[in-house]
Amino acid sequence: MARRFNRRDFLAVTGLASVGAMLAACQPAVVEKVVKETVVVEKEKVVEKAVKETVVVEKQVGIKNVPRERTLIYYFGGSGGTWSDAGNCNPYLATGFTHQTGLAATIEGLEYYSAFADKFMPWLAESHEFNDKYDELTIKIRKGVEWSDGVPFTARDVVYTLNMCLKWAPQMRNSAYIRDHVKEIKAPDDFTVKITFLKPNPRFYFEILTFKFDTGQYMIPEHIFKDVEDPTTFQFWAPENGWPVTTAPYNVVYFTNMQKFLDRRDDWWAVKTGFAKLPEVERVLCVPQVDNTKAAQLAIANELDQCLDLRPSDMKAILEQNPAVISHTGKKKPYGYVDWWPNNIGFNDLEEPFKNPDLRWAVSYAIDRDQAIQVAYDGAGSKQPLFFPTYKSLQPFLDSVQDLLEKYPSNEYNPKKSEELMTKNGYTKDKEGFWVKDGQRIVMEMGGWQVWADIGPVVAEQLRKGGFDAMYHQPSDWGDRIALGKVNGFWWGHGGSVGPDPWLSCTLYHGKYVEVTGAPGWSALWRWKNDEYSAIIDEMGTYPMGHPKVMELFHKAMEIWLQELPSVPMIEWYHRIPMNTTYWTGWPTEEDPYLNGACWHLTFPRILDRLKAVK
Amino acid sequence: MRAAYLLKRFGLLLVVVWTAATLNFFLPRLTPRNPIRERIVQMAVSGGYLEQGIEQMVKAYEAKFGLDQPLWKQYFRYLGDMARLDLGYSLTAFPKTVMELIGEVVAWSIGIALATLLLSFSIGSLLGALIAWPKSPKFLQYLVAPLMAVSSVPAYIFGLVLIYFLAFRARLFPMSGGFTLGTVPDGSFAFYMDVLKHAILPAISVILVSLGGWALGMRGMMVTVEGEDYMILAEAKGLKSRRIFFRYAMRNALLPQITGLGLSLGYLVTGQILVESLFGFPGIGALLNRSIFVYDYNAVLGITFMLILSIGVVTLILDLIYPLLDPRIRTGRKVR
Repeated sequence: MARRFNRRDFLAVTGLASVGAMLAACQPAVVEKVVKETVVVEKEKVVEKAVKETVVVEKQVGIKNVPRERTLIYYFGGSGGTWSDAGNCNPYLATGFTHQTGLAATIEGLEYYSAFADKFMPWLAESHEFNDKYDELTIKIRKGVEWSDGVPFTARDVVYTLNMCLKWAPQMRNSAYIRDHVKEIKAPDDFTVKITFLKPNPRFYFEILTFKFDTGQYMIPEHIFKDVEDPTTFQFWAPENGWPVTTAPYNVVYFTNMQKFLDRRDDWWAVKTGFAKLPEVERVLCVPQVDNTKAAQLAIANELDQCLDLRPSDMKAILEQNPAVISHTGKKKPYGYVDWWPNNIGFNDLEEPFKNPDLRWAVSYAIDRDQAIQVAYDGAGSKQPLFFPTYKSLQPFLDSVQDLLEKYPSNEYNPKKSEELMTKNGYTKDKEGFWVKDGQRIVMEMGGWQVWADIGPVVAEQLRKGGFDAMYHQPSDWGDRIALGKVNGFWWGHGGSVGPDPWLSCTLYHGKYVEVTGAPGWSALWRWKNDEYSAIIDEMGTYPMGHPKVMELFHKAMEIWLQELPSVPMIEWYHRIPMNTTYWTGWPTEEDPYLNGACWHLTFPRILDRLKAVK
Repeated sequence: MRAAYLLKRFGLLLVVVWTAATLNFFLPRLTPRNPIRERIVQMAVSGGYLEQGIEQMVKAYEAKFGLDQPLWKQYFRYLGDMARLDLGYSLTAFPKTVMELIGEVVAWSIGIALATLLLSFSIGSLLGALIAWPKSPKFLQYLVAPLMAVSSVPAYIFGLVLIYFLAFRARLFPMSGGFTLGTVPDGSFAFYMDVLKHAILPAISVILVSLGGWALGMRGMMVTVEGEDYMILAEAKGLKSRRIFFRYAMRNALLPQITGLGLSLGYLVTGQILVESLFGFPGIGALLNRSIFVYDYNAVLGITFMLILSIGVVTLILDLIYPLLDPRIRTGRKVR
């Protein structure tokens, strides 16, 4: 007779099932083994006529052990200790790829520019030249460059990359700009690229194709992407096939949401051709950042070599507690270098009350920048009078407007002048000391991200003392609010010129980008429109970098800008990055400023070239 | 258990899940925020550079994700997708799907959350029973106040204290992560030991705060059970104290605790969000936290939906297994 399934049986089965489930759950998701496999790749031979031949290569797939003293640990990005982009190696995945979490080490540019050294470094390209009208650009590609699968990097890769951007515009990085400016891209031979523009564009090579800070166009391999139906959904991650392929000295060999290994490629083209030496770092171990406090703890414990820039108080603690950690300025304030992102306070200049330049000036005079820097940064910062970083190559331009800055002292703290301007415009103070006109206070809902959490409230308090009803907060939809023109007093940085030319920053105030209030206007958040200024910038854009006319036009443009003060100049942005010398020396510093030290920038591979192992 | 009862309970589950899914769909859409724009802008701004044509890019990706469709169309498509457990593409990990993201971390969450839940349940229940048992050592009585105090402290506060003293100062445990950085999961014994070492601090912080709740609950039930007739009968029969404690008192007092355990399974993930984020432990809690930070609306909606579904299913299972756990309970059966 069959026995009934009773309560005891049920409990026993449930218990066993639970134990089984737990054991199964503890099984790691990924098990890597070192194996040898044979893969077939198509190698395109570069001869006078491109001939395709199939070769069989043996490829080692797996993870080798690299000791700590040959590993660079880089801590950046993510949230709560994980990234979201595991396996995304296609740089043209617009919402899912970032070079900042380490992948910059696996990407090389046609040319690099160091703003600190004011130096150009031709890399995948040997040279470039514009025609007299600046509507045609010829780029000469370096011979001997190879992708990591052995296929030569040629002019066809550059052409394919730019044409792909044209075809898929506006879904890819800079593709809308390329579509609006480029007429045709051709490769007359394997080492020559010809780009024809719709109108003269003397800055295309520098602004779009040169790697500096976070800007520059990534090159992709034609021989792989040509077979991809939709490059906007292609991950480009299959280590068993050797993907991603790269020209850089490092490639991704392991990539999860918790870490990625970028291993040195000893067969890097630059070593083969004698163009560069093999870097000493054998592995870049990239780890997602949990938070700044954890970063500081790990830096003190020598468990990381570099991380995202930290607040001055964190940096001070690290530098004091770990003698091996340095900053760009050693152990001294401001513990970092000037980033390309000068901060201003912006308004919606299309609408009352900040439509009136007098009010913008009144706000500027009400801010004591020195006090704000002292209180918020313990003095580890500096103010800036316009919206340009104080880089060597931009300094002549900044020097040329000193006469204007004397006339229009945009960094001056002068409560009396602020009061005069407000009174002149019919404002009176109410019993709480706030400026009022027609019964309305001037409300400044100052917004920002976490990065302004230290200085934002200090400046808001200064403005309240100056009679402006200001409040600093960090709403989650802050970006949307300023893009739609809904707030006044927002903090923003200028991602523009890094030298040797101020034009790109100047375009951030061009009237053609201004949208009406309520429509997203990302390219001109301040919504300032001045036709005369815009015409000057247009004219400036027709001259190449370094042309004497650029300086003259810059002076004219800045006179208009300073008269109107569309945004209030505030501070230089600093990257205060801990760099650990326990395992690696040769970091860029103020004594050896060959580059800016951020590993998240596209210049990362060139920092890796210079690092020296201590042990 | 009758079929009508089963159908009724299952129907109720469907209604709960549908209501939650509908709220899940409409609530975020009540704000004027655009997830695509926020994601693209966030990525551009983190690079310090807002390229031209961002708004055009936003429109193109809205179309790609179907967000340019009328709301009712989006809603019905969403319901269909949810019914198939297709949670759609992650906005930040695109072209990965939300299900793939959950798959990457679910083992970590289940590993630590289930282990901590079962440990705190077992230790807490035993401790609570001993506190209430008259023949226990007296010092156990003094544990009631500390347990009450500890159970009211959030787990992440404990976490911060543990990290500072045991990881940062004493260097006894790792400060964060699921395993040592730079190692590759290989299924070896050493790897499991490494995972265990990394799980100890997050586990302790969760166990410490939840232990009190289980212990106090069990203590209350034990006090009730101790007055029952069958306890007096057991003592009168001369049974050993140990036998009475385990087989008569604790066994009967445990039933409401098991109900609580079942319900806690549903909250396994939500309870871990802060702890996982604090310790950089790569579980679902940390994934949800990250998705909120990086405006990955699809991931947030997908994870929330899975949580709702898991709570609903666990509740249904509990309803169905009560009669098996306790022979005194029989649904829909007439009392003779």
